Amino acid sequence: MWNNIYNWLDERVGFNDLYANLLDRPEPKTSWWNTLGSASMFLFVLQGLTGIFLTVYYTPSPDHAYDSVQYIMEGVAFGWLIRGIHHWGATLMVLVVFIHMLRVFFTASFKYPRELTWLIGIGLLLTTLGMGFTGYLLPWNQKAFWATTVGTQIAGTVPFIGEFTLKALRGGPDLSALTLQRFFSAHIWMIPGILAALIGVHLFLIMKHGESHWPKKDD
Amino acid sequence: MNDETKKQINEKYEREVSKGEKFWPDTIYRDLVMSLGIFLLLILLATFIGIPAEPKADPSDTSYVPRPEWYFLFLFKFLALYGQIPVLGKIEWIATALIPGVAVGILALIPFIEKNSHRYYGKRILSISIMTIMVVGIVLLTMVSEVPTVAEDGSKLIGILQTIMGIAIPLAAYILLFLMSFVFKSSTRTMIWTTVISALAMIAFTGATLALAPESTHEEAEVATTLVDQILAGQDLYSVHCAECHGDDGSVAVIQGVEGLEGEKITPINSRDVLYTITDSAMGEVIAYGRPNAGMPPFGKTYGGELTKGEMDYITIFMRYMWDDRFEAPVIPELFPPLADGEVPSYDVHLQPIVKRYCISCHRAGKENNNYLMTSYDEILKTGDNAANNIIPGDANSYLLQVIQRHEITDANGEVIIGVMPPSNALKPNIMDVFTRWIMNGMPQTAEEAAKISPPPAATPAP
Ligand code: HEC
Ligand code: HEC
Ligand code: HEM
Repeated sequence: MWNNIYNWLDERVGFNDLYANLLDRPEPKTSWWNTLGSASMFLFVLQGLTGIFLTVYYTPSPDHAYDSVQYIMEGVAFGWLIRGIHHWGATLMVLVVFIHMLRVFFTASFKYPRELTWLIGIGLLLTTLGMGFTGYLLPWNQKAFWATTVGTQIAGTVPFIGEFTLKALRGGPDLSALTLQRFFSAHIWMIPGILAALIGVHLFLIMKHGESHWPKKDD
Repeated sequence: MNDETKKQINEKYEREVSKGEKFWPDTIYRDLVMSLGIFLLLILLATFIGIPAEPKADPSDTSYVPRPEWYFLFLFKFLALYGQIPVLGKIEWIATALIPGVAVGILALIPFIEKNSHRYYGKRILSISIMTIMVVGIVLLTMVSEVPTVAEDGSKLIGILQTIMGIAIPLAAYILLFLMSFVFKSSTRTMIWTTVISALAMIAFTGATLALAPESTHEEAEVATTLVDQILAGQDLYSVHCAECHGDDGSVAVIQGVEGLEGEKITPINSRDVLYTITDSAMGEVIAYGRPNAGMPPFGKTYGGELTKGEMDYITIFMRYMWDDRFEAPVIPELFPPLADGEVPSYDVHLQPIVKRYCISCHRAGKENNNYLMTSYDEILKTGDNAANNIIPGDANSYLLQVIQRHEITDANGEVIIGVMPPSNALKPNIMDVFTRWIMNGMPQTAEEAAKISPPPAATPAP
């Protein structure tokens, strides 16, 4: 029976092609340093999953955000674990992405033919930091509130567009319910969307060119 | 890059691939181990370190020192250091927009700046040196992010040390490295040494900064998370700030013993009149603005008081659950563990919570109290106009014991030295008992000291 199902699916999906194209690829000898890219991706997926759980209870309004987070920590079964993983996962993701970038830099893996992979990577680094910045405000506690006040203020000092950026980020002259709403929307929809798309392109390019080999004396 | 080089690169890569491994299972095995390791690490972090509790956002509390997520700390520090530079330091946007913008721009364009095809580290020592110094700088700036740039005594030395580490040395090293690379054509070895020495110098200056840094005064704010904790926090705050006028149970109708308000008639705030007509948010406002015309001072930070939004919320919660008959109070743990027969109370376990709730509102700096302060063990024993007689070990006539029973103290000539102490309702007998036993047994501070002089618990009588 299982065989029949497998054959039926294989005819339509083509597992063998998938296997040959995705998994059975030859690669140059790689090292533990090459695991950092996939570790970044794993963290992104994990952040997505835990984040989805958090939105079940989280309320993005100044009156309720703090209490809803408090409730996740105290009232929801394993809420502390989910939030804990999301919290530390954010920290670790920034760290891992950064070290991944350093590894790519030090092994000069960004050179021909992987220049575009690097450029997309910079986009990934910036969006990852953007996730950190927007997520930091959501618990609506003192730290969040004041860090964001100062952070957006810094954006406001840019010549010409500063004024506008500040207002666009805050949704007005001061931090308010609108700011929280904006940051929430950016944190759960816009930035992850961009991040996911960029990761897609990043991976496509990596499959296309293969992973670079560790540089030797004659490289 | 010409087609010839490209072809060479691709051929070299093909050779490496043919000597290499398979994505499945070789590469992916390591990826999976790494991800699993990270996952376990996260669970450990979430379980054993968790997330520190923070008080709720309070837009009025502008005294709060903002601290960004740790990976932005180096940028904050860089901005602070940049501000130290004379003249240029005044043009803010150079540091906030131009420098980070250029840095990200360069980072993005690296493949187009370093266009040659060399990948071996010895052949690209300039870029590796620049990046190394950059990364060392970021790590060190993060490490000193808590250290101020101006010491408490106004000395700028600590700021100068940091500026040398964070700006001067890297800048000098970059200039030197460029000169070595393009003008002097120095060897790889010299350039590596230059980088290492610059990095060590930066580390040395960081060490000096940290050694000179004042003790971190950053204290974690206490955050009450459960309802019971919030009620208790509210009760403590109420006792300190409100009890002197409204009494510890809110029942005061005529204020006594408060300068300027003596004999003032007020509505008891534990009455339905007050609790039913004032909503939670209006209550927050009453506390924040006070009733300046009637004599109640403002308590909110915005209006010059001491309380944050969160603290005022706790007071409101306390008033609701304890006095408002529409709310059902949860079980509140006792203020102090009840004493067994003959057991001696200690300061840490019994006296401190009692004093905090019933005495500190008046007996702290800036209040009328015969200079008797009660905020610590030492103060309780040593301060006061009548310190010598207030607490005499083993003496039931210690002034304190008389004062709390609302006796007046007179000297040999019949002159009043301590008047009747204001709180209009007498302390509960069990609290009076704690004070008495404590003084009669020599005022032990810790629970161990008290246990030593307590009689052993009576043996259970044989059946
Ligand atoms: C210096 C004395 C003083 C202190 C301290 C004080 N109050 Fe008052 N409070 C007053 C006076 C006077 C009034 C006016 C009473 C009246 O008009 O009936 C008042 C009124 C009130 C009212 C009733 C307002 C109304 O409109 O009926 C509330 C509620 C109240 N205080 C709460 C508090 C709380 C909570 C604190 C502690 C944070 C506090 N008070 C501290 C003196 C004080
Ligand atoms: C409502 C304010 C208030 C509260 C609450 C209060 N006191 Fe006092 N206390 C005073 C004032 C005012 C005096 C000075 C009395 C005088 O001489 O007129 C005083 C004096 C004293 C003195 C004499 C100090 C000296 O050296 O002359 C003692 C002892 C004392 N208080 C103990 C306590 C203790 C113990 C508590 C807590 C159970 C307490 N007080 C709570 C206002 C207060
Ligand atoms: C969310 C962030 C990121 C994810 C999920 C991601 C994912 C990956 C993965 C899975 C690989 C292949 C495995 C490896 O070599 O580690 C890879 C390689 C690569 N990444 Fe990233 N990456 C991210 C960020 C970055 C950044 C910030 C850069 C640089 C600016 C970058 C540049 C590259 C380059 C050039 C390669 C090819 C390396 C080679 O072939 O040796 N990536 N990335």
